[in-house]
Amino acid sequence: MHEHMKPTPLPNKFFTPTVVLILMIAINGLIFLALRFFFGIGAVTNLDNQHPWGIWIGIDVAAGVALAAGGFTTAALGHIIHREHYHVITRPALLTALLGYTFVAISVGVDLGRYYDIWHPLIMWNGNSALFEVGICVMIYLTVLYIEFLPIVTERFIGKVNLPGALSKLNKSVDKLLRALDRGLDKTMFIFIIAGVVLSCLHQSSLGTLMVIAGPKMHPLWQTPVLPLLFLLSAIAVGFPMVIMESLIASKSFGLKPEMDVLSRLGRIVAPLLGIYLAFKIGDMFIRETFVYLTDFTLESVMFSIEIIIGVVIPLRMFLSEEVRNSRSLILTASFLVIFGVFLNRLNNFLIAYTPPYAQNGYFPSIGEISVTLGFIAIEILLYRLIVKNFPVIAVPVKQTSPKTKYSIRGI
Amino acid sequence: MAKQSRRNFLKTAAAVGATATGMSVLSPKKAEAAPENILSVDRMGVLVDTTVCIGCRRCEWACKQAHDLPAGNIESYNDEATFDKKRRPDDTALTVVNKYPTENKPHVPTYLKVQCMHCDKPACVSACIVGAFSKKENGSVVWDGSKCIGCRYCMVACPFQIPAFEFEKALEPKIMKCDFCFERTKEGKLPACVDICPVETLTYGKRSDLIQLAEERLKLYPDRYKNKIFGETEVGGTSWLYLASNDFQKMDFPKLGAAPAPGVSESIQHGIFAYFIPPVAFYALLGGIMYITKNKDKSEEE
Amino acid sequence: MKTKILLAVIFFVSAVFGQSIGKDHSKLPVECKTCHACDQPTKRNPCLVPCPREEMITIHMNPEDSPDVITIDQFKGQSDLYSKVVFSHRLHAEMSGMSGGCAMCHHYNPPGNVISCVDCHEKERKRADITKPDLKGAYHRQCLECHREWSTDTGCESCHAQKVKPGSPEPKISKSERKERVHPKIIEPTKKVYKTDDYENGTLVTFYHNEHTALFGLECSSCHKNETCAKCHSQFEKVAEAEPSFEKQHERCASCHDTDNCESCHTTKELPPFDHGKATGFILKTYHADLSCSKCHKSSKTFTGLNKNCVNCHEPWSAETFDHKVTGVILDETHTEFECENCHVESYSVKPTCDMCHEAEISFPKKIPGKRIK
Repeated sequence: MHEHMKPTPLPNKFFTPTVVLILMIAINGLIFLALRFFFGIGAVTNLDNQHPWGIWIGIDVAAGVALAAGGFTTAALGHIIHREHYHVITRPALLTALLGYTFVAISVGVDLGRYYDIWHPLIMWNGNSALFEVGICVMIYLTVLYIEFLPIVTERFIGKVNLPGALSKLNKSVDKLLRALDRGLDKTMFIFIIAGVVLSCLHQSSLGTLMVIAGPKMHPLWQTPVLPLLFLLSAIAVGFPMVIMESLIASKSFGLKPEMDVLSRLGRIVAPLLGIYLAFKIGDMFIRETFVYLTDFTLESVMFSIEIIIGVVIPLRMFLSEEVRNSRSLILTASFLVIFGVFLNRLNNFLIAYTPPYAQNGYFPSIGEISVTLGFIAIEILLYRLIVKNFPVIAVPVKQTSPKTKYSIRGI
Repeated sequence: MAKQSRRNFLKTAAAVGATATGMSVLSPKKAEAAPENILSVDRMGVLVDTTVCIGCRRCEWACKQAHDLPAGNIESYNDEATFDKKRRPDDTALTVVNKYPTENKPHVPTYLKVQCMHCDKPACVSACIVGAFSKKENGSVVWDGSKCIGCRYCMVACPFQIPAFEFEKALEPKIMKCDFCFERTKEGKLPACVDICPVETLTYGKRSDLIQLAEERLKLYPDRYKNKIFGETEVGGTSWLYLASNDFQKMDFPKLGAAPAPGVSESIQHGIFAYFIPPVAFYALLGGIMYITKNKDKSEEE
Repeated sequence: MKTKILLAVIFFVSAVFGQSIGKDHSKLPVECKTCHACDQPTKRNPCLVPCPREEMITIHMNPEDSPDVITIDQFKGQSDLYSKVVFSHRLHAEMSGMSGGCAMCHHYNPPGNVISCVDCHEKERKRADITKPDLKGAYHRQCLECHREWSTDTGCESCHAQKVKPGSPEPKISKSERKERVHPKIIEPTKKVYKTDDYENGTLVTFYHNEHTALFGLECSSCHKNETCAKCHSQFEKVAEAEPSFEKQHERCASCHDTDNCESCHTTKELPPFDHGKATGFILKTYHADLSCSKCHKSSKTFTGLNKNCVNCHEPWSAETFDHKVTGVILDETHTEFECENCHVESYSVKPTCDMCHEAEISFPKKIPGKRIK
């Protein structure tokens, strides 16, 4: 059946009322972003010496990296274990990961006090630093993601190169270049795909190591030496729900028929992955006997309970049910809960669990911080829409059963 | 898939394997790619005897003078109202003195100078993404502005919550913290705060001598002091040590164990990256799986 | 001794103490262990213990004999912002009487002259031996340890005059300014009545302070032990102490008085001043009333159980040796001839009898055997 599905640029109109609204959110974010660069981080954020990191790290970076995990989990499933069945979703997942990581990098830049020195880790190394590892891995992985995306670009332009004016003389040679690039990529793509999975596993887990060094400054419900493992497991678990949600929303938005059979099959893998994550999380809690804090009824204990019950236990039960997996709205709900759970976990780890010893007051993000975060999400959505309109990302049913086009991505 | 393609796969895989092995051989270099972190036997330190401090705050003034921060009039430091609020070191003051009631002498307050503790196993040195922090031979933990990218991970990592950031600066914001007057001590001078202290609350000397001195004081005056040298073992030991007649936790010192702050984090890091073997092995494993499943597809096709 | 400069805190001590820790100090009346940690110290390795402070005091003198004012100007010529200190030494010596005495400041003085701070405490802050504070630290610690207890003002200006700018010449201190630095005379209370509501059988304790000092001859420090200036001068609000123990509450009185009989101190009414006659049945008249207690009560602590018989204190009297005039009666010629026992038949505390010679109508004190002079 999937033979009939072919990634194609979508013909839909770009602007809809919702898009305009999102555009306004994006512009609002950009205004505050400009203020940050003109007047410093302190002018726009509620950060202080007690709360060095806010939502730009907790949400934009930490949650951003986790929720972009769809890219590497789908790549592993589709290309490494060769479940050809899932190829229809690898391109959208790749695009989401690409956009996600791009904005992770941009967010890091925005949050860095000396953003113009962001290249320093390339030549100034500190092998002991978890952040160094995250930084290097994300940099390389971002490059790998762009390389993985290149075939989509070549596919879009090969045979259609049409440079304006005087440059049109170059049309032929550019086309040749693209074809050569495409052939080269075709042969070596597997290196990048494996590298992408390895790099993802490394930095997803190291993102967890990041907070280990905060030691007693972090609430014991979250502070554990197995944080890297928990981060990796939750990233793997959230990958497919993210793909499911994004596929369902995109198909609704573009008026396409949802790929329910692919998504239901994908949903079957979610429950075991969530189960492993939950088992480690609960096991860790019992080994370190941190359950005693659950009855505190503090912000921390409530947030932890929400994270576990609403974010893991309930969607786990839902994904176990075939009825849920086959229902468009229920599987969307279940996926959303998993995403919410992992999102909350990252937020909890980086912000709620972090209890600075000398804080006079708690941290709550400022209007500026929220605006920038929302603005970035809005821009991501707009870019996704723009790209799927112009590049062959989303698969649509093709009437005639033609043989595979030469420049589709074969076997990767 | 064409046969040629499969051979190609093998060839490229071998190349990748060779590169990876090369990297793993080179990896000891990577282990050296860490900032200067010297734990000298002769490292210096300061013993702060809070029972003699009179809260004159001259150390704050001298510190600002020595670090080119606006220090203001020295008389303005006599204002008692400053003690109404508990202050923390920040980008305008690298050290501050706070006031606490004394347990065994309610009418005489205890004053507590706060600054970077200059850990023996500093979390900031371990955490910093670009290795902008280093532990020097004389015990000081120093920040290098030419490396820093302003990520503020040091502030997250520090168990004493000491590094401060110039949040108001749009360009070249600095991480501000006590540098144990690294520039002054290099010239043979004393740290500015030690130099000015009228009562010598701050005794500058070799850390090992200071511990001996502190132990003797504890033995001679058991009524005067709580039987504890704060900083002797905390987070693996600190260059600055404290004696007090109060419980240290009641003076807002964090409750810390003897395990070095970067310990767990570094062992995880080195576990994952043990000479690059785990990542390379994982790469090889995934490559193997990919190859096998590809073959299976092929045979199914055939 | 390495007394290079005797400008600073120095006592001028008589030549009696002129002995120094010389070649043979092993014969000094000091335990070797006070200064040496090992059994056999050698010149090369004296294995000296860290400053023994109060364990090593050999000199004590009265405040009246000590220097009145001392100028502390060890840091003269340095670029300090503050000038030298004029220290009212005698005043402080007097005040120290209620607490630790001289040793509060002169916490270490081996046999020999009174040594000055700079003899032990180094002027240079950067130094090899950090076991003792440096000189500036030592001065400030010594002064401020007490000053901060009774005064919130630890400001520099309370002791030093501030110079116009660092390094400028010392401001002059006038003679009158020096004179002003005296402690006002402490007015001693006569009577204090303490309410002791906790003890129902007697809610009042009457304490005659003047009796204890003047009559019973107690030193201030025998009751006021380890009291600091803060006792009177504290500017801090007194923090209500937790209920002190019985021993703590009675500590001062119990050092002399028994605590077994509560009612001897705790009464329902204010007590009159001490009356020897009422309290002991031995009325102190004329001659005895003028004596200090210790004249009869030789042991300084116990005042009870003294035999009332004259001979307990006095040598056995005889007519030849006793000058009867001191009793207030000069015997006439006839009566001087008799032996004492002729009239004082039973005891000297009972009135004499005349019936040995005279008719019954002649009796003492109607008739006097001589002339009454008091």
